[in-house]
Amino acid sequence: MEGVFNLPEFAPCPSCGAPLQVEVFPSFFRKIAPGKSAEAVMLEGESSCFYHPQKKAVLPCDGCGRFLCALCDCEIKGQHFCPACLEAGKTKGKIKNLDNQRTLYDSIALALTIYPLLIFYFTIVTAPMALFIAIRYWKSPPSIVRRTKARFIAAITLALLEIGGWMTLLIAVFSRHHS
Amino acid sequence: MADTKYKRLTGARSKSVLALAVMTRSSLWLGDDHLLAVDSTGWTETYKRFYFRDIQAITVWKTKRRMIWNAILLTPLVLSLTGLMVSVFPARSMGAIIAWSIIASVFIIPCLINNLLGATCRCQLRTAVQIEELPSLCRVRKTRKVMEKIRPLIIEAQGGELPAEVISNWLREFAASTTAAPARTTSHEPPRLTTP
Repeated sequence: MEGVFNLPEFAPCPSCGAPLQVEVFPSFFRKIAPGKSAEAVMLEGESSCFYHPQKKAVLPCDGCGRFLCALCDCEIKGQHFCPACLEAGKTKGKIKNLDNQRTLYDSIALALTIYPLLIFYFTIVTAPMALFIAIRYWKSPPSIVRRTKARFIAAITLALLEIGGWMTLLIAVFSRHHS
Repeated sequence: MADTKYKRLTGARSKSVLALAVMTRSSLWLGDDHLLAVDSTGWTETYKRFYFRDIQAITVWKTKRRMIWNAILLTPLVLSLTGLMVSVFPARSMGAIIAWSIIASVFIIPCLINNLLGATCRCQLRTAVQIEELPSLCRVRKTRKVMEKIRPLIIEAQGGELPAEVISNWLREFAASTTAAPARTTSHEPPRLTTP
């Protein structure tokens, strides 16, 4: 057991013998701090929490400015929010650190222009769909890790080319039919 | 709130062989004060953040996946190379040589990639409330490179290096508690530092 933690090389696991490397950090041994408890209002006229009027306010919410007690204070990267602002920030995507899922509309639009090319006839439907999605969701938040509009631009270009191709084909067919 | 700029730590990798069918791919990114694990289906992305101050341990263990893939790839590779040799030396048709070359290359390229990437491993990250598998860290060499990058950041965020005696004391206590009272489950808790 002595020779398993924080070693530069693999060492056999004392239990199963598998080559193992375990890197432990100080927080593994750190005592978990007890949760904060809100202090009761002692004096008449003392600022109290918006959500708990009997509790003492310790700071204002950075989102709405309401006074908060220690219990209602939610800290994210140095900013303090009340539970309502936190919920609103999560649902509206305003607090980036709470974002845990995003829909990649740029990838969807691009896929709608590329995959149907395998069976070309589908593009008569999918190209306008891709164009609509690209325009409708142009301003939607992109992937957290990939931020360019390149896929949207590629999707719009391909969709326009496909629509243009279909229009040329239909005009050619109709003009030949009439002549 | 300012946007975090992320640096790619690993490429996207399927979460499992079966996940290939639904295109779920996992990758790891480095933020200012956290690691970001991204699971992407192609249409959606889900994010998990592991803040440096919360990471308790990272466990890596070697697996036999490279050997298994070698065994899977080498059998048809040897067969196709045999076919190629048979076609070349009695100097049969050019078509047969080309056909066998294409078949051999289908197996030789993944086999080469599998061996050039090095030994395979599994990696788990532990915090106070979860143990998370990191599927994108599946090769020992890559995992070590990532560890070299994130280790100083984690240590800095947690206020300095862990003294060796803390680990050895804990291990001693752990060994003593498991031999003295093997039935007690609370004995597995790590000891607490007395310093604030």
